[in-house]
Amino acid sequence: MSILIGLLNGMITGATPILLAALGGTMTYYAGIFNIAMEGMMLVSAFFAVIGSYYYQSWIVGIVFAILGALVMALIFILFSVKLKTDEFITGIALNLFALGATTYMLRQIFGVKGAFADPSIVSIPNISIPVVRDIPVLGQIVSGHNLLVYVGLLATIASSFLVFKTRFGLRLRAAGYNADCLNTSGVQSDHIRTVLVLLCGVLCGLAGAFLSLGYVTLFSENMSAGKGWISLAAIILVNGNPWGIALISLIFGFSDGFGLLLQQYLPSQFTSMVPYIATLFALFIYSSRKRKEFLS
Amino acid sequence: MNRPISAPLIEMQHIVKVFPPDVVALNDVTVDFKQGEIHAIVGENGAGKSTLMKILYAMEAMDAGQILYRQQPVDFISTGDAIANGIGMVHQEILLIPEYSVWQNVILGLEPVNKFGKLDEKRAIAEVQKKIDEFGFNLDPQAMVKDISVAAQQKVEILKLLYRNVSVLIMDEPTAVLTPQEIPQLFNELRRLSDNGHTILFISHHLDEVLALSDRITVLRRGKMIGTVDSHTTKEELAKMMVGREVIFTSLRQPNQHGQVVFQAEHVAYHDADRVVRLQDISFQVSSGEIVGIAGVEGNGQFELVNSIMGLITPQQGYYSINKKDITHADILERRRLLSYVPQDRKTMGSSVTAPIAENLVMTHHKLEPRFQKWNGFILDFKEISKFAQEIRDRFSVSMGSPDVAFQSLSGGNQQKVILGRELSLNSPFVLLDQPTRGLDVGSIEYVHEQILAMRSQQRAILLISSDLDELFRIADRILVLHRGKLVADLPVEKTSVEEIGYLMLEGKFNEKQPH
Amino acid sequence: MKNNLINGLLGIFIALMLGAIVMVVQGYAPFETYAALFNYSLGSFFTFTTMLQNSVPLILTGLSASLAFASGPVNLGQPGQFLMGALLATIGGLYLDLPPVLMIPALILLAMLGGALWSGLAGLMRLWFKMDEFITTLMLNMIADFFTYWAISYPFFDKTAYSPMTPAINVSGWLPEWGDFNSSVIVMVLAFIVVWFITSKTVAGYEWRISGQNSIFARLGGCQIEKNYMKVMLLTGALAGLAGGLVVMAGPHRFLKGLGANYAWDGIMIAMVANNGIVATLLYGLFFSVLQTGAIGMELITAVPREFIMVIQSVIVLVIVAGRGYFAILMNKLAVRRKAKEELK
Repeated sequence: MSILIGLLNGMITGATPILLAALGGTMTYYAGIFNIAMEGMMLVSAFFAVIGSYYYQSWIVGIVFAILGALVMALIFILFSVKLKTDEFITGIALNLFALGATTYMLRQIFGVKGAFADPSIVSIPNISIPVVRDIPVLGQIVSGHNLLVYVGLLATIASSFLVFKTRFGLRLRAAGYNADCLNTSGVQSDHIRTVLVLLCGVLCGLAGAFLSLGYVTLFSENMSAGKGWISLAAIILVNGNPWGIALISLIFGFSDGFGLLLQQYLPSQFTSMVPYIATLFALFIYSSRKRKEFLS
Repeated sequence: MNRPISAPLIEMQHIVKVFPPDVVALNDVTVDFKQGEIHAIVGENGAGKSTLMKILYAMEAMDAGQILYRQQPVDFISTGDAIANGIGMVHQEILLIPEYSVWQNVILGLEPVNKFGKLDEKRAIAEVQKKIDEFGFNLDPQAMVKDISVAAQQKVEILKLLYRNVSVLIMDEPTAVLTPQEIPQLFNELRRLSDNGHTILFISHHLDEVLALSDRITVLRRGKMIGTVDSHTTKEELAKMMVGREVIFTSLRQPNQHGQVVFQAEHVAYHDADRVVRLQDISFQVSSGEIVGIAGVEGNGQFELVNSIMGLITPQQGYYSINKKDITHADILERRRLLSYVPQDRKTMGSSVTAPIAENLVMTHHKLEPRFQKWNGFILDFKEISKFAQEIRDRFSVSMGSPDVAFQSLSGGNQQKVILGRELSLNSPFVLLDQPTRGLDVGSIEYVHEQILAMRSQQRAILLISSDLDELFRIADRILVLHRGKLVADLPVEKTSVEEIGYLMLEGKFNEKQPH
Repeated sequence: MKNNLINGLLGIFIALMLGAIVMVVQGYAPFETYAALFNYSLGSFFTFTTMLQNSVPLILTGLSASLAFASGPVNLGQPGQFLMGALLATIGGLYLDLPPVLMIPALILLAMLGGALWSGLAGLMRLWFKMDEFITTLMLNMIADFFTYWAISYPFFDKTAYSPMTPAINVSGWLPEWGDFNSSVIVMVLAFIVVWFITSKTVAGYEWRISGQNSIFARLGGCQIEKNYMKVMLLTGALAGLAGGLVVMAGPHRFLKGLGANYAWDGIMIAMVANNGIVATLLYGLFFSVLQTGAIGMELITAVPREFIMVIQSVIVLVIVAGRGYFAILMNKLAVRRKAKEELK
């Protein structure tokens, strides 16, 4: 039983950074932007989260810095792909490499180390123990006690769903993705919407990055986003952007992460690390074969 | 049709517009529009009609000139600005969001909201319904735009502008997407709006319609303003102004001896991935020396017919054959040995616009003709390709510079000539043409028709898909009508009329009231 | 062509200026830094040959990406294909014992095979299951990373070593060096010539090119899109695998953790900034090698950390690519203004 609880908790924890980033990506996906730079945004925000937390001894500052870092990346993305009309794909990949280089460089310059920076004085984001819920047997152990950002993630899912499907902004957002010309001639600048969405994506990726370095573990290591940005992107494509679908897929990936940890008793750690990526391939297979079946009948 | 004589509502003065790098779309054009009139802008494709109206609507910026609105100079910075000042445009390609409903499309950009920015759906639907009733359109606000007819979609576009209290309506080739039966309905609505004080500006190159509907007509030719006349002029006068010379309107076809059956479709049926039936029991033949035309409102199976003949999709039942060879399941290269194909959209299907003209020309030839291969089919002979390009240029009078220049540098008419040249020089027994003259000017259209008739004289079998009934009646021998995936008529062209075909296109059966 | 050259040089110049600004702000001396950078890559025969050797994986992975992107498949799997090629070549180098004249070609073929198998896997997933190669190649990168890590830590682990690596491959598989000049450069040049020949002269190259520009047009014209797709995936995988094999055979002669560093991602970037042009990829590959080789010397002289070059590289890419688009828009605007003036006279 405790294994199951551990597994479920691990699933929720593993899902959170993917969920947050994927929600951000969903926003831009609806508007027709494929934000490949999420990997880089998460990395940069993970780094800045540690800086904020370390130098100001406060996890709140860490989160704020993380969001700011991601917003800077977002602004660069907007400058190139919206203003200068550079291909989003190229901008995204170049930004990812920029993020890798810049964080590795700054890691050396600011903290004087290579590889990773860990220090007991980095303040991590606290876990929340919900007063009444925590005492419910079994369920309480699963629902309560998670990191703050896990609950933020849940709220973000609800808010995104509302925003995209119920509000005026959401109507315009989806229109921008369906037919930007139509939106433009309706008197709404689609570039405007795109800009707001990329910034929003930045905020969410900022939270995801903060979770990576201040919630999940408390350190920054080179290239710590390790492909989670790509998995988020895959998640968005698989569920066609629906926020609740994103939540489900994120849980599945989180589960595969936890499952991998479990398997470490039996297999070398390298194979267990592969699990999330193999899981993504499997999910893509299911998605594609569903599409394929429709086509062949 | 009496209009109050007053100072012009809109004056466009000395408008100049250049498209990069040096295409002069509008050359010192001056024209004025009066309040409450229906004013047509006519000219060939490329004359500048659309561009002029897009400038008025602030979709394009002019490079010189000024616009006066109610005698005041104005400078709209965006289409939203133009709309706010009462000027709106309905485009030729429907610019709606198919996945949204009618009401969502109408209110987009001007949505009624509650607190938190939540969309007030109920109020939105009610307001849209109000406008529908006010102008007497026949629309269901909650219908999905992708499910309604093109004519209805056009009404949604108009409604969208009326919702914003637009008083000047610009319509760009509004009849291009309608059947002959739907056109009078549109004209009635436009007249009603004009009687109510709205000003209608509409772009067209269909002279009959223009004469039937408008109060005044302005003619543009190659970016220059030729003149403004009133509706008492004649079709021949207008055509002369448009083209600059006499234009013949009668049929070019001479009778021709048909030969063997070349192409056969036998009980072809196809349904798509969503199990929607797109083709039902399609059977017909095309003989050598014959042009068979297929008429129909777009979306009634033409797409699936063409794609299944080409090999992009496979019908679940039935078969196609060319010269008795079954091609229903053959791969595309096999089919290409026997057929030439001029696709509907030259940019997305008929060419690679960024590639050089020569590379566009040698496609398919590179596989079928040893002339272009060296080293046993491994290497391309670029010298031969260059020679071939010259040959095509001379034979088809293509106006081009070097064949190594990008395809997109050619004008639309010349691009189509290149594609025709490529396909016709394959010397295939069967030729499939899909909207071959769409978007071309009168001169190019004449040329293409000449080439198609020449192929007919060479005893090739030609299948022509066209939404232009004038074209079909000019050159086809027989006309078939596609309606909801079924062939509902197969008539020799002398035994039918534009009205009969139009009715068949819309209703799928003969009109009992008119004797056949 | 001329426009591209101007655009490239201008972009590099702007990026270097931006870098100089950052350096000044941080208290470094930009002029000396750049001088050291170019001195330590082009300044002597030794640095020049080192630069050439370093350019081999950059250019080969760059060619892999350029050819793939220009022909249609979005092959982002060069990092994984590189590793698998290196691994297969290493295994061959450990267990085969042939005279050099046979050994070296054998290992080269194994390297290409390794890369092609890995890319072929993604290709099959696309052809059989319609799985987008964009995602599959990315996932396979991570999987290859972990797989090779396991391989060099367990079955092929050098038990005398204290960190994950394989034993050295047989000496007959070591690529010969003549003075400081490494023969891997010759292999790279040969590969370049082959790729150039295929793309500019052959029927296949023509079909791939047109398919990459407009696949429907190519398909309707009779090109066999699926077969071509697979060929491109296999060839580009082989190129990336070759890069991996050459790095092992020319450099450490064994597979160690961290082999290949960032070469493959740099290769992808090079393809982008070269706009998928084959010759441009070669030139930019050389240039990026100049930056990377010089970075070590730069750090010695002015203490600017070598990671700074990673940042400069991505800025160069961004500026050049953005400039390319903007330049075109600017030229058009000027042309329009000129013509409008003409007409009004």
